[in-house]
Amino acid sequence: MGKTKTKVKSNYNASLTFFQKVKKYRVLLLMCLPAVLFFLAFSYAPMPGIWVAFVKYNYRDGIFGSKFIGLDNFKFLATSGKLLSLTKNTILYNLAFIILGNFLAVFVAILLNEMRSKWFKKISQTIMFLPYFISQVLVGILVFNLLNYDTGFVNGILTSLGMERWQPYSNPNVWPPIMIIVYLWQQTGYNSVVYFAAIMGIDGEMMEAAKVDGANGFQRIRYIILPSLKPTIVILLLFALGGIVKGNFGLFYNIVGTNPILYNTTDIIETYVYRATMTDFNFSTASAVGLYQSVIGFIIVMTVNFIVKKIEPDYSLF
Amino acid sequence: MAKKEDLDLMESGAKVKLGTSDKIIRGFGYVFLTLYSICCIVPFIIIVSTSFTSESVIRAEGVQFLPKDITLTAYNMVTKSGGIWLSYLVTILLTVVGTLVGLSIISMTGYALQRKDFPFRNAISFFIYFTSLFQAGLAPYYLLMTQTYHLKDSYLAVLLPLLMSPWLIILMKNFVKSIPHEITESGKIDGAGDMKIFVSLILPMLKPALATIGLFLALGYWNEWYQSSLFLSSRVAVKPLQFTLYEIVNKTDALKNSVAGQFINLADIPQESVKMANAVLATGPIVLLYPFVQKYFISGITVGAVKG
Amino acid sequence: MKKKVLALLLTTTMIAGLTTGCGGGNSGSNANDTSATADSSASSNNASTDNASGGDAAASSDDPWANVDTSEHVVITYMTTGETPTGTKEKYDQMMTELNKILTEKCNAELQTYFISWTDYLSNYNLTLAQMDGTVDLVGTASDWLDAWPNSKNGAFLELSEDMLKTYAPKTWASVPASNWELCKYDGEIYLIPEDNYAQWTNHGFIYRLDWAKAAGLSNGVQSWEDMTTYFRYVKETYPDITPWDSDGTQYAQMAGGWIASHSDYVPIDGINSAAMWGGTRGDLYTVYSPFATDTDSLVEFAKMMKEWDEIGVWQTDVLNNTSSTNRDDYRIGKVAAEQHHTQTWTDLVSHTPANTIYDDDPNAETGFFYFGQETGNVTALSITHGAMAVSAGSKNPERALMVYDLLRNDPDCYKLFCYGIEGVSYEITADGLRTTPEGYNQDTDNINGTTNYWWGRNDDLEIPDATRDWDKINALYDEYDKIKIEYPYGQFVAEVDNIRSQISNINEITTNYMKQIAFGKYSGTAEDIVAEYQSALKSAGIDEVTAELQRQFDELYK
Repeated sequence: MGKTKTKVKSNYNASLTFFQKVKKYRVLLLMCLPAVLFFLAFSYAPMPGIWVAFVKYNYRDGIFGSKFIGLDNFKFLATSGKLLSLTKNTILYNLAFIILGNFLAVFVAILLNEMRSKWFKKISQTIMFLPYFISQVLVGILVFNLLNYDTGFVNGILTSLGMERWQPYSNPNVWPPIMIIVYLWQQTGYNSVVYFAAIMGIDGEMMEAAKVDGANGFQRIRYIILPSLKPTIVILLLFALGGIVKGNFGLFYNIVGTNPILYNTTDIIETYVYRATMTDFNFSTASAVGLYQSVIGFIIVMTVNFIVKKIEPDYSLF
Repeated sequence: MAKKEDLDLMESGAKVKLGTSDKIIRGFGYVFLTLYSICCIVPFIIIVSTSFTSESVIRAEGVQFLPKDITLTAYNMVTKSGGIWLSYLVTILLTVVGTLVGLSIISMTGYALQRKDFPFRNAISFFIYFTSLFQAGLAPYYLLMTQTYHLKDSYLAVLLPLLMSPWLIILMKNFVKSIPHEITESGKIDGAGDMKIFVSLILPMLKPALATIGLFLALGYWNEWYQSSLFLSSRVAVKPLQFTLYEIVNKTDALKNSVAGQFINLADIPQESVKMANAVLATGPIVLLYPFVQKYFISGITVGAVKG
Repeated sequence: MKKKVLALLLTTTMIAGLTTGCGGGNSGSNANDTSATADSSASSNNASTDNASGGDAAASSDDPWANVDTSEHVVITYMTTGETPTGTKEKYDQMMTELNKILTEKCNAELQTYFISWTDYLSNYNLTLAQMDGTVDLVGTASDWLDAWPNSKNGAFLELSEDMLKTYAPKTWASVPASNWELCKYDGEIYLIPEDNYAQWTNHGFIYRLDWAKAAGLSNGVQSWEDMTTYFRYVKETYPDITPWDSDGTQYAQMAGGWIASHSDYVPIDGINSAAMWGGTRGDLYTVYSPFATDTDSLVEFAKMMKEWDEIGVWQTDVLNNTSSTNRDDYRIGKVAAEQHHTQTWTDLVSHTPANTIYDDDPNAETGFFYFGQETGNVTALSITHGAMAVSAGSKNPERALMVYDLLRNDPDCYKLFCYGIEGVSYEITADGLRTTPEGYNQDTDNINGTTNYWWGRNDDLEIPDATRDWDKINALYDEYDKIKIEYPYGQFVAEVDNIRSQISNINEITTNYMKQIAFGKYSGTAEDIVAEYQSALKSAGIDEVTAELQRQFDELYK
């Protein structure tokens, strides 16, 4: 931390002591104060409670009075022999979600920006937002009604065309693309808002100037819009990376449910832990898994942030 | 309404110089976005029409794309007790208050954190970002909220934790960054304090950012069910809207997957049409709100012109 | 069974008579009296004697709590899983007002219900307990489905000393036999008050159309799994529009357990894992084994038969992902031909209630029950802690909580109010003592029965049988059970799973994965292969270590 601080000091601040700085920037500090207090109260205050992952939790003794048992709570994950494949599934899905999700969101935002018909813009954007509102439970129901073998919508069409029925629920290999499509379908409308707003924020004169200079549509996108979206993209990516080991439980649980035939390609850490805690509910085990995910996420983000800082210091998170 | 003129000016300008490439992009855009929109709206139509379909038809023929004969049974069931209107009220209040308070804190913080001369900006940024990596987990959080803050059965337990998130603050910081630093400088030269600069010079330029982040906040409040499920017990008579929906939709699953299933009173299991009717009622208003927020994105296009 | 009910009724009237008869007289020394009689009852193991001595205890005074300081009015909160009444809220509130009048008069307390909604109930239940700040006083719990033992061990429940129980819950103390109190102890302390005087059978089996089975040539109904195959085949051929059994993917554990019960004399231990994979045998109760790991031939046969069922088309092709099945309601209206559930559910489906329209549509319709274990006569009664009441360790008024519970469980007025509502509004008693609904009754707004979710202290002495049930058929089956059943033998055993927790969760996972494929015939390859694969996965997950550890704990307890 000390290192970071010295780096950002502006020249005219270098000579000031800490207290002089506090005094000089008291207004800015006060502006940050509500947020700082908020995170202290709701995020930092419970943090010591992570200790619960290392104890045999007893209700009467509380988190800190309970018996310390070291890493026992982590054991069930480790001995399952699945830790690696679960972590791998979780990370690969998230990578796909992050990369394709952002790509599609940028794509949609740019296209929206190029549309000149106001009502088309408005209506299509509103419609694209709709899937975001459908709860994941309903998404699960919709997917099942679309794809199931006996009464599914897709199979109805296939039979009416005289084709053979499709049986996705017994074929694990078709699920990664299905999950990704469902995710993109649900999230893109929402994600594109950020990019759309960023494009809106681009200096209008710059765009005009480019047009006057005879830049065509592709060139405007390539040389003005994309570069100005870069910081937003980088920040979105960095943020998403922090949660790369944290799976999208709702999506997977509601769509795949508890069909073991599909686990090979669709089981993520969250769904596995959920099944384990359904029969043996235990705060400590759940916290242990959460801690494992946080630590890995932390390492990844610190590494990537470090690299980003080397290349483009402006884009790094801190 | 000078902005409106700017906008028209720009559009007419664009029309004049419409080149081949623009035509390609635009043509492709219309096709792509139309197809994409269709994909997005179809399931929603299914949900709406299912909510108007009678349960026996659903069981016999599955969910319907268009209702065969329209029935309002499901809606009558949902609105029967009248509780849903109070839920609307609670949700709207939470959304409005939460969004306004959250937005003001987030924008202040975002502004302060992007000031390059602010020596504490990296420390505070890290302080905030760190919380998105490490969470204490359910039990410690729950115990703190109930035992220390005594927020069980209080709407504050829903309102407070959703006020802001590291993600929204950093996003705001990023938006403010795109406002030229000279504006702050010019304010300083005029002798304005930081707060004055922020309120009278920066905020007016932040409309698209405020609209975006406000939308996210509002969505967060509108869709909130998790805090409610933790902290609002059966003692709180009026629950937020989405939580009611969440309970209805998930109940069946919770029951079927547990030993407790033996106690299910089957009349309690919500029917498909009721689930869908709830989804429509819970989602409708915020979807209708969206086009109004969008106006600010559009007006944001003139932000650049204000400069100077 | 009828005789039993009658006997209980007699006992109850006797108690009531005694209470009113020799009331006021010896109230001065009632505290001593109570404990003395309670002691004597504790040393007796015979249930009927207990009832009688319970009568004595009650008889000693009108007010068993004359010496208890109840000057401060307190609110006792009772936590149960379930949904807050909405449509019936008005009638529910009225009932609670009436109930609280009685409770205030008798022990200066009032009752509030704290519902834990079914959605995420397990975590919300445990979190609310973890608060430990007096939010709840009485806690409904269960050893087999609601973490009763883990919570006793975790310190969430209060130890209930004999003195406390004798003083504050005298009738309950007297009515529960000492041997049953033993089953509610962990580490020498009582934590649970069992619902041990309530006849219910929750052993599973297949509910099916008896008339169709007869038409399929099974003149005695379904008597075995093979008969079930015949039945399904017949239904599929005769009624092509009907899915014989529109199962969902969660039924696998009951099916596997049912198969094993029908093909061995395995007696499972509750509460270790949901598939109940460890236990003893009727002949040798205290030697632990897991039929899932050892009964290879039987499992192979099971896998083969289920493949056959799958090919017949008993269930839908995507049964494993089918979560929105409404099989039971479909059975009522004749859209499916079977339901897999327990006896309690059968008692509903066998009766000509308004919801069961199959009996209106077809006067010949009959519902049979093929219970698991029928072939081998292998039926075990329910553990008495399948429903139990505990007191939260965070309760500020544990004494008053016990007093309220004692009234809810034993006071006829309180009991009827809490279980059925206000007489004349929510229910009525017919001339032959059965419970029916009054004129102008509306199920959606007037029903109380089943909305208070009082599954932790029901009492057959005070129950009023439901007039809509077909009691002849039900009692016939209960009698059959009573002939062959054994009591649940492992009530005293609370497994210490800390050392074998990770093995058990892996075994759960493996069993879910393989058993779902086996039980719905969805495996590829031969039955022999899939069972061998399953069993070797169990072995490498450490099933032998778990068995050995449980055996060690058994030996400590039972030898």
